[in-house]
Amino acid sequence: MIENELRYSPQNKPLAGYDFTSYNAPLFIAWQLNSACNLDCLHCCEEAGEPLPNELTKEEIDTFCQEIVQLQIPYVAISGGEPLLHPDFFAICEFFRSHGISLKAETNGHLIDRQVAKQMAKLGFRSIQISVDGATAQTFEKMRGHGNLQKTLQACQYLTEAGVNTEIVFVPTKFNIHETSRLIDMAYQMGIYGFYTGKIMQVGRAAQNWEILCPSPQDYQKFFVTLEEKAALYDGQMKIYYYPYDVIEELKYRLESPAASLLIIPNGKAKLIGPLPFVCGDLRQHSLAEIWSRYQKAWRHPEVVTFTNNVITNNDLLKEANHWRELSLA
Amino acid sequence: MEFEKNVKIRREKFGTVIFQTLCEKVFVTNQTGSAILQMIEEEKDLDNIVAELAQNFESDFEIVAKDVTEFIMELKENQIIRGVAE
Ligand SMILES: C[S@@+](CC[C@H](N)C(=O)[O-])C[C@H]1O[C@@H](n2cnc3c(N)ncnc32)[C@H](O)[C@@H]1O
Repeated sequence: MIENELRYSPQNKPLAGYDFTSYNAPLFIAWQLNSACNLDCLHCCEEAGEPLPNELTKEEIDTFCQEIVQLQIPYVAISGGEPLLHPDFFAICEFFRSHGISLKAETNGHLIDRQVAKQMAKLGFRSIQISVDGATAQTFEKMRGHGNLQKTLQACQYLTEAGVNTEIVFVPTKFNIHETSRLIDMAYQMGIYGFYTGKIMQVGRAAQNWEILCPSPQDYQKFFVTLEEKAALYDGQMKIYYYPYDVIEELKYRLESPAASLLIIPNGKAKLIGPLPFVCGDLRQHSLAEIWSRYQKAWRHPEVVTFTNNVITNNDLLKEANHWRELSLA
Repeated sequence: MEFEKNVKIRREKFGTVIFQTLCEKVFVTNQTGSAILQMIEEEKDLDNIVAELAQNFESDFEIVAKDVTEFIMELKENQIIRGVAE
């Protein structure tokens, strides 16, 4: 997330409140609602598929949602697993929207038919993000096990027709990166609002399948040139967002400047950030306000600092990302 | 003037944080910025805002007018507010 600042200071006083510790509460919640998934993606950083044995119950979910409202957290992203498989997905979204919270959902789109798209339109999402990892059935279905490109594109159509702000997320790999340009053009023709992409993260199943997935430096070079050209071509008509850094660069940056956000996984634990294994709180034991203060401490915890510095010099440690480590934060 | 859809604002110890969630950009202001945002929320127009601030700060009207106009134009350019009279 890019952070900017806007000033108003008649006396030209320096601005306060830029550091993550100066916020009363997080600005953003990334919530992995479930771990169940109907697809089996080669690159899945969450290693999703089966539900976790101890996911949050309906009551625990309700409490969490209310805490988000109480802390005036302005923006929530719901992901998974596949969030549309969760029985309470729509109830949760309705709750957030009825409290004016900006909401986006990340989905593979396979469960979105015309009816679901209409239901989504009524809720006024900030956006629905659909993962489309290829412009041809061959590459898409290689990447997304049990996936179907036609169904996914159909979901995009239903959503745009229903007036939902729809975005596409594309993860580049060795075998689909050459389709970037074509997919962006397809997105434009479908009336997509934004196209998101960036380097694949060497985390979860992507780490296990790194040899068959990781694009070459030359591929990436071409990829970013394509993105720049397309961003210029569609300027003012379709947003093209791309983050040029890889996960290691992201970690270096985050160690200096942690985001004002929390990542909640399906069992209610709060992770520091996706690619690190550290857990700084648990909705079953701590209030959300407590988790926010634990998160701030956790980023300065010696174990976190040392481990993150080790990951930065040894990418192999990213394999640990989903082997959660609880921090003792007295 | 009114806030754009998808813009959320929250009071903080230091002033206000503005979250333009559509472009996922975060902005912060100090307490004076907060006072202006509050007046925008109360649907006050530019002239009213300037008059009130000039009085509160006992500052020169011209200087306040220039600062506030710049701030409001910046809010508009960053898709935080709409309906600003040109
Ligand atoms: C984990 S999925 C969950 C939501 C939903 N099931 C879906 O497929 O969109 C969320 C997003 O993360 C992306 N993603 C998964 N693994 C990734 C990786 N190793 N690197 C970068 N993005 C990844 C997916 O492609 C998808 O856009």
